[in-house]
Order: sequence, then structure tokens, then C-alpha cells
Amino acid sequence: MAKKNAKPKNPRTRAIVSLVAILVVVAVCGYVALFGIGKGTMVNYLKPWGEAISLGLDLRGGVYTVYAAENDGSEEFETKMSSTVSILTSRLTRQGFTEATVTRQGADRIRVEIPNVSDPNEILRIIGTPAQLYFVDENGENILEGAMIKNAQAAQDENGLPCVAFELNDEGAKRFAEATAANIGKTISITLDGETISAPTVNSVITGGKGQITGNFTADEAKNLATLILSGALPLNLTQLEVSAISATLGVEALDKAILAGAIGVALVMLFMLLRYRLCGLVADIALTIYVMIVVLLLALTGAQLTLPGVAGIILGIGMAVDANVVIFERIREEMSVGRPLASSIKMGFSHALSAIIDANVTTVIAAVVLYAFGTGSIRGFALTLGISVITSMFTAIFITHKLLDIFADFGIKNQKLYVR
Amino acid sequence: MKFEVKNRLKPCAALSIVIMLIALVMSMMGMGMNLGIDFTGGTLMTYDMNVKTFDTADISAALAECGVTDAQIAVTGEDKDQVQIRIKDVENTDDLRAALEEKLSASYPDIEYVDITRVGAVVGSELISNAIKSLTLAAVLMLVYIAFRFDLYSGIAAIIGLLHDVAIMLSFVVILRSFIRVETTFIAALLTIVGYSINNTIIIFDRIRENAHKAGMRQLPREQIVNLSVKESLPRTLNTTITTLITIVTLYVLGVDSIKQFALPLIIGILAGTYSANLINGYVWALLMDKRGKKAKA
Repeated sequence: MAKKNAKPKNPRTRAIVSLVAILVVVAVCGYVALFGIGKGTMVNYLKPWGEAISLGLDLRGGVYTVYAAENDGSEEFETKMSSTVSILTSRLTRQGFTEATVTRQGADRIRVEIPNVSDPNEILRIIGTPAQLYFVDENGENILEGAMIKNAQAAQDENGLPCVAFELNDEGAKRFAEATAANIGKTISITLDGETISAPTVNSVITGGKGQITGNFTADEAKNLATLILSGALPLNLTQLEVSAISATLGVEALDKAILAGAIGVALVMLFMLLRYRLCGLVADIALTIYVMIVVLLLALTGAQLTLPGVAGIILGIGMAVDANVVIFERIREEMSVGRPLASSIKMGFSHALSAIIDANVTTVIAAVVLYAFGTGSIRGFALTLGISVITSMFTAIFITHKLLDIFADFGIKNQKLYVR
Repeated sequence: MKFEVKNRLKPCAALSIVIMLIALVMSMMGMGMNLGIDFTGGTLMTYDMNVKTFDTADISAALAECGVTDAQIAVTGEDKDQVQIRIKDVENTDDLRAALEEKLSASYPDIEYVDITRVGAVVGSELISNAIKSLTLAAVLMLVYIAFRFDLYSGIAAIIGLLHDVAIMLSFVVILRSFIRVETTFIAALLTIVGYSINNTIIIFDRIRENAHKAGMRQLPREQIVNLSVKESLPRTLNTTITTLITIVTLYVLGVDSIKQFALPLIIGILAGTYSANLINGYVWALLMDKRGKKAKA
């Protein structure tokens, strides 16, 4: 009683303690994952993990809005429309709304649907007020337009005062250099929807395509202006026509059925593993339970938006997650069949399986990282789900399965036939 | 179970090529992939139901009676009393509207037509070109990694296997066009198979790498090393394929239509992946290595 931390010397006792500890952690986490803590009380400590996952348009619905673009009648209208669509898409992707859709509607309308948002007013906050931004010289001629601004963010000028730093694209940088050269000592006004928001005096030629807008801003104003400039960086003038909430396109039934299928699938996989690999199968089943919990938790934490194929992908991932276990168990079986004792079979089996598991998973992670870094919209969302499940399955196979097998070996269950068929 | 593992590269490759050719010919005859609204765009109809509660199932039933089976129905409006119906373009929207309104007015007498408009594709050409670019980059990086960890020819063989699986999957989507409609979810299915295919190939290539370095193996023809490696990996291959298929087939059996549209191509992709990993990729590696050996000697 006095020596609380003393480790029991008997490996068997230690094994029992470790196993019980692991099972208790799994059970507690499982309970929290399913039911949350303190739910319904005054303080809502933790939601069930599943509820914390944000769901896509197909499963939970969201909001939609339709914009009308001002048709300037120019030949480039078509090009401008498609670049507006792609700017809006990448803006939403950047904000984590990978499952939002931006589509053309009719000739001059753009329809934006954003999942997992219930208040239509949120749309304004998310994609900003579409507005048109120009840089104008003293003669009232446009030097630059908002679409040439690649990035804008709140920053501090050399005096530590809030300002907006912006970055231009190549064409913008070229034009800006020419304009600043021609207007030294004069002012260049920055106008938003015709209203001058800042009129700095040009002190020198600016060639790098980077600049600052200073004025008497507070930090908040600078931040708002940066958002405005970015949202204004559209080649077309948009007016919001309608905005409303939209229900899930697939409905609750689709999700319920997918989850039911998932539960049955997991149960069947677990049963299969148990029949095929006995004690090892039991180990794989515990590891699989831990895998599912980690994946659900990570999805909730990263805010990945889950669509129906995402759910299906996770369920498929469960089938694939046992793969690493299968690879390990087959190797252990091979070691046992040449007459190696249990503990060393487990050790050798693991070390032989490791290179295959790492190489196979690293290649998949490479694909996931590339798709996440360069993909847009749903591709990026999918890459995140894929990456999470692959890394988690590798972790559970290498660490959890290994640890559990060692524990069972320490139990003194020596009959090799019980481990693998 | 008596099954001799041997090099069947020629007949297997021939079978795959025949499947791809059938799909190619069908596509050229105008029977290509059955693209859904997500890809083609379609028509968006809005109705005001003027009742607080209504069932979208009634609407899809009415649409089905008018011959429209592929529709996305969503409830909108501040009072949740509007319905938006997205369908593929029909030849005559006026006829469809008339038929639909007649069917619906029986149960919803106050139904009011709001508007009808054409909507573009959710999956624009940009998303597709972006997907292809990212996938190409991913393939190159995977090739580099495999070349580094194994050898260049393993990398090439693995990527050939990957392309094979994707091509077979696309071919079956064409051949089974009456059963598979291609929506956004298909992109996810395709990407899943990319990961799965590489996974399967690497497990067998790992065996080949291990066996090729064993004493007494080096003088064996590469083909035989592949035979042995495939054979040794077979229990793992079968068990993993079974566990993966268990989950995905359950999804197919129990899922709603859009899940089925996603699950069926996946099942095909998984089978194609198992097929190529065991019967094609290793032998392609052996072939490439032998060719290189001859060149070096000449």
C-alpha cells in the first residue's frame, strides 16, 4: 500500500495489470465517445465525439446563396465568370469548407452551397461581401483591380500601427511598378465600390508586387479591410439575390443506414479475425476498436467535413486497417511453423512485417499529403480522411497490437495453436 | 487448396487489355460513362409547397412516375416550405413541369411553381484537372519513394499496376453503365483504389525484396522469386481482401442508392487491385529487370 508505484515483479501479474489498464482506458474512452461527459448538465463538458464531427451538405444540409453577376457585355464575361467561381471555391477551401459547392446557374448567376452552417447570415462572414476594389490614380484612371490581389492580411507598419499588407499577382505587380514610377509624389486612391478607403502618397517605385495600405486603422478595421479586399478580389460585381437554409440532400436515412452498415461490417470483420487468428484475432479486435475511436476523435478535432462517401471511406478503412495486423500475424505464423518459441516468433514476426507495413503506408500517406496540399474542394476533404485513417492504422498496428501480443505472451499462454490457426 | 503459382502475365495482361478495349469501343460509340448531375449539370426547379410539413419521398415518387429517377431533392426557405429539385436536363421542361404539377397537386393542392433554371456541374473541369494534376504528382513521388526503398523497376511496375487498376475500374464503370452512375463520390472511390492498389503491391514487392536477397535465391530466375513471393503472401492477400470486401459489400447491401453508386466501383477496384498485385505487377518487375540485364550484357 505504501509503495504505490512499485512494479509487481511477476510478469504475469504485470501483464494482467497492463491488460486491465488498457481495457479500462478503452472502455472509458468508448463511453465518452458514445455518450459524452456531462451532457445535458449545466456545463456541457464534452459532446459525444460523433456529434462533434461536422457533416457535409449531403448529410446535414447547410445554407445556400445565389449571386447575380453584373454582365458587362464584354467578351471576357465567360472567362470572368469561371474565374469568379474558382476564386470563390478556393476561398471556401481555404476556410476549411472543403465540401462547399460553387456552381454556375443560368447565364450570369453563381450558386454557393455551404454545409454544416445553419444561419444564412453566416455566409457573409464566410465569403465576405463581394465588392469591387480598384487602385485609382489622380486622373481617376484605374491602375489595378481587386482580381490582381493575390493575398491581403492585417499587419503592422514600420511604426507599429495597424495596416493592411497585400500581395499582387504577376500582372498586378508589373502594372503597380509602372504606376508607382509614373506617380511619384502623387496619391493613388484605393476605392471599394466607388468609395475611397485610403489615399496614400507614392514615395518610391514599388516593384516586388507587395505593398501596404496605411490609414488611421484600428487593428480590427485593418482585419476587416483585408477581408474586404480579398472578397473584393473578384473580377465581377456580384449582388446577392437569395440566401436560405437548405436541408440535407440525402437525408438522415442515408447516414443511419451507412452507420448501421458500418457497425455490421465491423462486427463481421471482428468475427472473421477471431475465427481466423484466435488470440491474435482478439488482439486485432481490441486494436481495431482503438483505431475506430482515434479516427473519430481526430475527425472531430480537425474539423474535417464528412460526407457520405467520407463515412463509407472510413468503413472501408476499417477493413483495410486490419491489413497490417494480418501481415504481422501471417509472419508470426511462419516463424512458429519453423519451430521458433512464442516470444521470439512474435518478435521476429514483427520485425519482418515492419518494412512492408511502413513502405506500404508511407506510399499511401505520400498520396494523401499531395492530394491535401494541391487538391481543391472534396478532394482535399477526402485526402484528410485518408491520411488520418492510414496513419492511425499504422500506429495501432505497430504499437497497440505489438503491446497487446506481448501482454498475452507474458500471461504464460504457451499453446501456439491458440495464437494463430 | 491446390493452386500452382506461376507466371501468367501474358494471358492476364491480355484479359485486362480486352476489358479496356471493350470500354474504349463503347465510349467511342457514345456509350461512355454514365455521368450524373454532379458532372453534367442539370435543371433546378423550385416549388413552394405552402404547407408546413411535407415528405420529400412524395416528390421523388411523383418524379419517378414522370420518368425521372435520378433527382436530388432538398428542402429550403425560411419556413422550410420550399423544395428544390435538381434533375438531369430533360428535353422538354414544360412537359415535365405540367406532368409533375398534376401528380403533386393531388396531395398538395396549394403547390406553387417558383422558378426553373439551368445549373452548372458541381464537379467542374477545374476540379477534374486539379485531381489529375495532383494524382500525377502523387504518382511521381510514390515512384521516387519506391525507387529509393526498392529499385526503379519496382517503382515503375507499381505505377503500371496502379494505372491498370484505375483503368479497369473506369472500364467497368463504362461496361456497367446501366448500374453505375458517376457522381462526385466516384472521385473519392478512385482515390481510395489508388491507395489500396499501392498497398497491395508493396506487400508483395516487400516479399520479393526479402527473397531476392536470401542466400541461394540469387541465382534463381526472377520469375521464380516472384512465384515464391506471391505464394508466400497469398494468405495475407486473401485475408485482407476478405476483410475489406466484408465492409464494402455490407455497405453495398445496406446503403442507399448513392452509397451503392460508390460501393460498386470500389468493389471492382479492390478485385482489380488484388488481381494485378498477384498476377501482373511482380512479373512486370521481373520482365523489366531481365530486359535491363540483357541490355547491360549486350
